[in-house]
Amino acid sequence: MNHSKIAAACLMGLFALAGQALAAEYTVGQKSKAFTVKKLSVKVGDSVKFINEDPFTHNVFSLSDAKSFDLGSTGQGGFKNIVFDKPGTIEVECAVHPEMKMVVEVTK
Amino acid sequence: MRTFRRTGSGLRGWVLSALVLACAAGHAADKAADKPADKGATVLPRESTEAAIFRGGLVYANYCVTCHGFNADGNGRAARLYNPRPANLRMSDKNDAYIGLIIRKGGEALGRSQFMPIWGDELTDEQIKDVVTYVRSINVRPKD
Repeated sequence: MNHSKIAAACLMGLFALAGQALAAEYTVGQKSKAFTVKKLSVKVGDSVKFINEDPFTHNVFSLSDAKSFDLGSTGQGGFKNIVFDKPGTIEVECAVHPEMKMVVEVTK
Repeated sequence: MRTFRRTGSGLRGWVLSALVLACAAGHAADKAADKPADKGATVLPRESTEAAIFRGGLVYANYCVTCHGFNADGNGRAARLYNPRPANLRMSDKNDAYIGLIIRKGGEALGRSQFMPIWGDELTDEQIKDVVTYVRSINVRPKD
C-alpha cells in the first residue's frame, strides 16, 4: 500500500471517530406509564437510551417507516439503547401500555 | 362490574364508541316511551362464560391486538417486526393453563419469543383469566 492510500485510510478513520465523538446520547425515562419526553429532536447518528423508571415492565417499539424496531421489554431500572441512523419522524410506543407514545424527530 | 382502566383508539375505541352510541340510542328510546332505562335489559351474570368472553375481548382489543391482530391470527400491525411472527391464537393447540402462563410470565419464560411481554404486572388475575376465556372462544383449531 502506498503512502497516499495509508493517509486516506487514516483520514477516513479519523472522520469515523470524530463522527462517533460528536454523536449525542439522549435519555428518555418511562415513568408513571408515560415517556418523560413527548417530543425529542436528534441528529442522525445520535442515540437514545430508554430507562424504565417504573416498578413494572415496559417495552419500547416503533412501526414508523423511518425506523421500525422492538427493543423488547425491561423491568425496573432496565434500559435499552438505540441509534437513529436515518432522518425522519419516528413514533415510539410501549407495547405493554398502549397510551404511552412519544415522537423522535431525526434530522441530518 | 369492573371498569376498565382506559379508553383509546383502534378497535377498543370503536367498541367503546359503539357501546356509548347503543346506550345513548337506548336511553333516547326509553325516554320517548317514558319507560325506565333498564326495563327488559339483559345483564350477563358476572361469573358467566359470556361475560368473561366480553371482558376478555375488551382486554384483548386494548393490549393484544397490536401483535396478534384484530382476528387473532397473528397478523397485527406490529407483526412484521418479528420472526417468528406472533402466534395465530385462532389455531393455538395450547391449553388454558399454558395460555394463562405465557400471558402472565411472557414468552421468554416459556422458551418462546422474548417479544411477548410479561403481562402479569399490568393485568389483574381476572383480566388474564378473561383473555384466556376469550382466546378459547375464538379458537377454531379442529380437535384431534
